[in-house]
Amino acid sequence: MKNEITLQTRREFLRTTVLGSALSWTVPAFLANTLTALQSEAADSATQIVTGKDATILVVLQMAGGNDGLNTVVPYADDFYHNARPKIGLSAQLVLNLNGAVGFHGAMKGFKELYDAGNLAVVQGVGYPNPNRSHFRSTEIWQTASDSDQIEKYGWLGRYFDSACSGADPTVGVTIGNQLPEAFFARTPKGVCFNNPQNYRFMSNGGATEESYKKLNELEMSSPTPDGGPGMTPDENSGGTISSLAAGMPMQGGSAVDFITRTALDAQMSSDQVRNIAARVQNQAVYPGSQLGNSLKLVAKLIGGGLPTRIYYVSQGGYDTHTNQLGTQQRLLGDLADSTKAFVDDMKAQGNMPRVLVMTFSEFGRRVSENANGGTDHGAAAPMFIVGNKVKAGLLGKYPSLAPQDLYQGDIKYNVDFRNVYASVLESWLKTKSAPILGRQFEPLPIV
Amino acid sequence: MKPVGEFIRLVKCMLKPLSSDHWSYEMAAHLLNRAGFGGPPSDVEKLANLNHDQAVAALLDYELIPDETPDPDWARPDPERLQKLRDINQHGTAEEKKAAQQAENKLQNLWMVELRGWWLQRMARGPRPLQEKMVLFWHGHFATSAEKVREAYYMWRQNELFRRLATGNWEQLLGDAGKDPAMLIWLDQAQSNKQHPNENFAREVMELFALGEGHYTEHDIGEGARALTGWSLDRLNQKYVYRPQLHDHGEKTFLGRTGDLDGDDVIARIVAQPQAARFITAKLWNFFAGQYPTDELNTALAGVFRANGNNFKPFLRVLFRSEEFYAADIVRNQVKSPVQWLIGSVRMLECDLPPTLVSYGMLRQLGQDLFAPPNVKGWDGGITWITTNTLLARYNDAEALVQGTLPPLTANDFAKKPGGAGGDKVMKALQRVRMGGVNLEKILTPEERNSKDTLVASLQHRLLQSALRGDQEQALHGFLDSKTRLNDADILTAIRLVMSTPEYQVT
Repeated sequence: MKNEITLQTRREFLRTTVLGSALSWTVPAFLANTLTALQSEAADSATQIVTGKDATILVVLQMAGGNDGLNTVVPYADDFYHNARPKIGLSAQLVLNLNGAVGFHGAMKGFKELYDAGNLAVVQGVGYPNPNRSHFRSTEIWQTASDSDQIEKYGWLGRYFDSACSGADPTVGVTIGNQLPEAFFARTPKGVCFNNPQNYRFMSNGGATEESYKKLNELEMSSPTPDGGPGMTPDENSGGTISSLAAGMPMQGGSAVDFITRTALDAQMSSDQVRNIAARVQNQAVYPGSQLGNSLKLVAKLIGGGLPTRIYYVSQGGYDTHTNQLGTQQRLLGDLADSTKAFVDDMKAQGNMPRVLVMTFSEFGRRVSENANGGTDHGAAAPMFIVGNKVKAGLLGKYPSLAPQDLYQGDIKYNVDFRNVYASVLESWLKTKSAPILGRQFEPLPIV
Repeated sequence: MKPVGEFIRLVKCMLKPLSSDHWSYEMAAHLLNRAGFGGPPSDVEKLANLNHDQAVAALLDYELIPDETPDPDWARPDPERLQKLRDINQHGTAEEKKAAQQAENKLQNLWMVELRGWWLQRMARGPRPLQEKMVLFWHGHFATSAEKVREAYYMWRQNELFRRLATGNWEQLLGDAGKDPAMLIWLDQAQSNKQHPNENFAREVMELFALGEGHYTEHDIGEGARALTGWSLDRLNQKYVYRPQLHDHGEKTFLGRTGDLDGDDVIARIVAQPQAARFITAKLWNFFAGQYPTDELNTALAGVFRANGNNFKPFLRVLFRSEEFYAADIVRNQVKSPVQWLIGSVRMLECDLPPTLVSYGMLRQLGQDLFAPPNVKGWDGGITWITTNTLLARYNDAEALVQGTLPPLTANDFAKKPGGAGGDKVMKALQRVRMGGVNLEKILTPEERNSKDTLVASLQHRLLQSALRGDQEQALHGFLDSKTRLNDADILTAIRLVMSTPEYQVT
């Protein structure tokens, strides 16, 4: 039986073992074919190396538009706060008290419950030096983890994929949406994105068209393979790198077509997987009908279905509240808290909560003083939320001072660099060294 | 490192013209694909029937071909509108301000979509493909985004600047690009003054546009920023203005020269660096050949560029004539950019460009939103165009182009920001859009439509200019054989299948 590997196994094996790493498409076709003949047991072990089914999962939740942190984690007992915000300042009755000095916005009951259950950490006053107030640029800074005067080509998650996930399944990173966020940009592109699993597929009326598409996107099937000699056995610890596999064999230059062929195989497989899971797995919690709710609902299904994903990325827009902020933010924060709470409930029901960490971010907070239109303008530091079973729950760090003499151009000063938070998540949660990803060492915080 | 003598010998042997017996239909197709956006067999044959010099000249000496594309009708300064906006912002009520801003945003969004359509149409149907290809290169190079500039007129103006100087002189282009209103906003030069020199443009002009990291110091950036003060923007009349009162007249030392330097000195000094020629010629080689040159080749390319006074046209003539450009690992080994994929497809299929909203949505989905590059570094290109989802999207968009159906776009493809709003209205507008599809009578002879063998050969010739692998060809035959007789729907599906291969994604 050892020579009769099913098509599915053969594809998986080729993808993860031979064709997975950065130089993968340079492997000569005859060598690839040789590997199809290897034992299926080896194939199975190879697929498990990078992304095993029990690995930890990070869900990154973007609050796009610049969320007003001051009306999210509200310093309701601070006179400076009320002086700066006579119209939109929230009084004690309107917040969910946390420690007698600050409280969550009243719409965030879901977060309060998570907080009380010890599942939610608030990192206060997160920002970065020389803050930029442009949505575009500040988002880019958060996505690439760059200094504010440096332009980085690749995203911080992309660099994580490049440095820690070579050879991994393409679904190691999943974005719910139609565009890959800049955070995913990588030297070797990885990660898939889709909004509706139904659209993430080769669309046709099936039958002969579908069959031909699959054949046209196969790797070349050619002559019988040479006998496996020295250097032909995958190195079980590395997941089988090209160099170890191809030791002593002539290498051909990698062609663009070879790379695309590998991606085409990845696409076929992951699209089947995703649609299969979406159709099969049932949610075990009730989510809000919002876009964020739907996104997290889908993420929950994919986790429940065992997709080997390490990073999920979801986003919620609308936080750019220059005018009439109260109503808008009430709606958005309620949606955020309810959707996240539903997701946590779903994870707990699945038994997957110990594996999952949710981290929120927004490109900036907003100005301390309200503007003339019942809103707030672009500002600087704001809180981040970390949700998980093993988080150091509670309020972390110091709330930035709102005293006018402590502000910089009307903005609160950050106490925590967001890259220290990223470093904690990378090291303590994703178990990888953060310095190669963040460009230098940022001290991890005791968050996870 | 190779010994110096060896290096020089290698360089001297480089960039020789391709010998005439190597000039063929396949090479003509390669030239048309790379120097332009490809075309149907009749276009390739026209080039192949010329000699190589003439073929290159037919593309490169485009001034001889009239291009009478009219400007978009809003493409002019509009101080009146801007003055009105200013007045409302200063004296209006909150409601008036909000209404005016919304109306302005709506107008700009509309114009930006029109501008995309206007440019795509020039690429798809204009008479000067190489000029438009160079405009695309310069857009990716100077990577200015409308998301920050927020003024369609400026984006159009910059696009026209790239067209005017597409194959011109490097010093002039770099200087004019620096004084271009969109660039003045994009890299904050418009906000710079002698009290607070903004270093953004000074840094990027060296790092990203002309020299590359490691060829200047932080000190050069600071001094360059001081020298550039005074370059400013007249926001009402919407044009560059020099403001002497903002200029720092003190002494600066920039890239080894000292004096009361100004912005023009900065540009001249940068372009005079030997590294400048290496940097821009390497980037152009990568754009046209699909990979970065070796050190030797880069030296040869830079030598040609400098010997020709830093002018792009004579440089490109040597490039498109060179043996190296037609090497086996260059031909059909470049991943098509989304723009190349879309424009090339409609040219090869001899069909209409989809309505602008559809083209715009497709390009966003495929990862190349014109006038909105991801960051100052522009599009990474190459294999980074291809992800599992962009590949499937290409395969599905092929179906839409061929059959004349709407591609599977969703509101999210049109949202301004991830998770943001704005897509729903576009989706409604999309329902009224009509796609063209492929007219088989136009691209296939009756014989090709009746014989499976001839059909398969013809499609490969038209769409790939080379053959599929044997097993792929068999798969295509298998599809056609599953039909008892060939009808048009099956032929259209066969076209879509050829476009749904890894081979179709390269050029």
